[in-house]
Amino acid sequence: MSSEAAASVHEAPEGAHGHDGHGHHGPKWLAHHFDTPAQQFDAAKLGMWAFLAQELLFFSGLFVAYGVYRSWYPETFRAASHQLNKEMGAFNTVVLLFSSFTAAMAVRSAQVGKQKATGNYLLATIACACGFLVVKYFEYSHKFHAGLLPGRFFHPHADHLVAGSPPLPETASSFFSIYFMTTGVHGVHVLIGIGVLIWIWLRNNRGEFSKEYFTAVDIAALYWHLVDLVWIYLFPLLYLV
Amino acid sequence: MSSADHAHADDGAVHAHVSPSLFYVAVFVGLLVLTGLTVGQSYVDLGKLNIILVILIASLKASLVVTFFMHLRWDNKFNALIFISCIFFIGVFFAYTMNDTDRRGELDPDQNVHILPKTGERAPGGRAAGEGHEGTGGTGGVGEHH
Repeated sequence: MSSEAAASVHEAPEGAHGHDGHGHHGPKWLAHHFDTPAQQFDAAKLGMWAFLAQELLFFSGLFVAYGVYRSWYPETFRAASHQLNKEMGAFNTVVLLFSSFTAAMAVRSAQVGKQKATGNYLLATIACACGFLVVKYFEYSHKFHAGLLPGRFFHPHADHLVAGSPPLPETASSFFSIYFMTTGVHGVHVLIGIGVLIWIWLRNNRGEFSKEYFTAVDIAALYWHLVDLVWIYLFPLLYLV
Repeated sequence: MSSADHAHADDGAVHAHVSPSLFYVAVFVGLLVLTGLTVGQSYVDLGKLNIILVILIASLKASLVVTFFMHLRWDNKFNALIFISCIFFIGVFFAYTMNDTDRRGELDPDQNVHILPKTGERAPGGRAAGEGHEGTGGTGGVGEHH
């Protein structure tokens, strides 16, 4: 892009009182070190994708642990997975997929400058995220009551186990270690996602976003989609062995 | 350059692709169908094919989310490159680790040799029968997991 084009665009409203001679005054939301809104937008997206790549690599360690232990104890994984509630897992999958959809719609509404719709879609996304955690709470409390805990805390109570399920070998503790680690770290991401989405919702209420500037909505939605992405793999691998 | 030109592609403004709402609904419905498929598949025992199908369906769902919800289809190609190379390195991580764990021998106490847990054949680098007990090295420790 030619610097001539860039400069002329941003000599817009406040261009009159140029403070350091760069002639560099775009809208309030354009950071000083960027030439154009497009450059700022691309930089933000690039940074976010680099962060998301890091997140995926981080989660991949847990998935590799899953792969190693499952190849060691295939029968244990099959038996232990019967202790997870398929229906609750499937319900939570649909909830997260729907929240991904509303997050995508929030970005779209922001792109076309519909502030109210953006806010509503963000609220729907936050509500789904909270719903996901509520279901997760019920699942976790069943595991705690049944003594299906990681590592050395594993002490299953026969009367709390799912009726008619195959017997649990001693090695099942490794399955629950992986179950709590993966869903726990994922749950922390859901919590952080709720915080980020509330922040974006507040900023949207203050009217900070427009057709020209919706970067923050886009970036927050990318983070939320990543949370969905990880769950897409976790659900069948843990619940549907 | 005249100011009229700036209204077009090179004006420095953000030109994001806006998909129709109905398109996002369609992607969501696709995701629901695939979820139904993976749940239904879990009631059918296909042996080794199960895990392959699970990964395949999950990856299809993930591609839908990444391509359309996350806009990679219309995004700067460099972002797609970051994502794809990330997936590639996760593949490397998996391939090398699984190759290692699946092929590592474990000690057969009767024969005093290292055998492959899956096939029962002698592990590469394992000791021949009759060689000493000592110095079987780190690989022998893996057997403790079984």
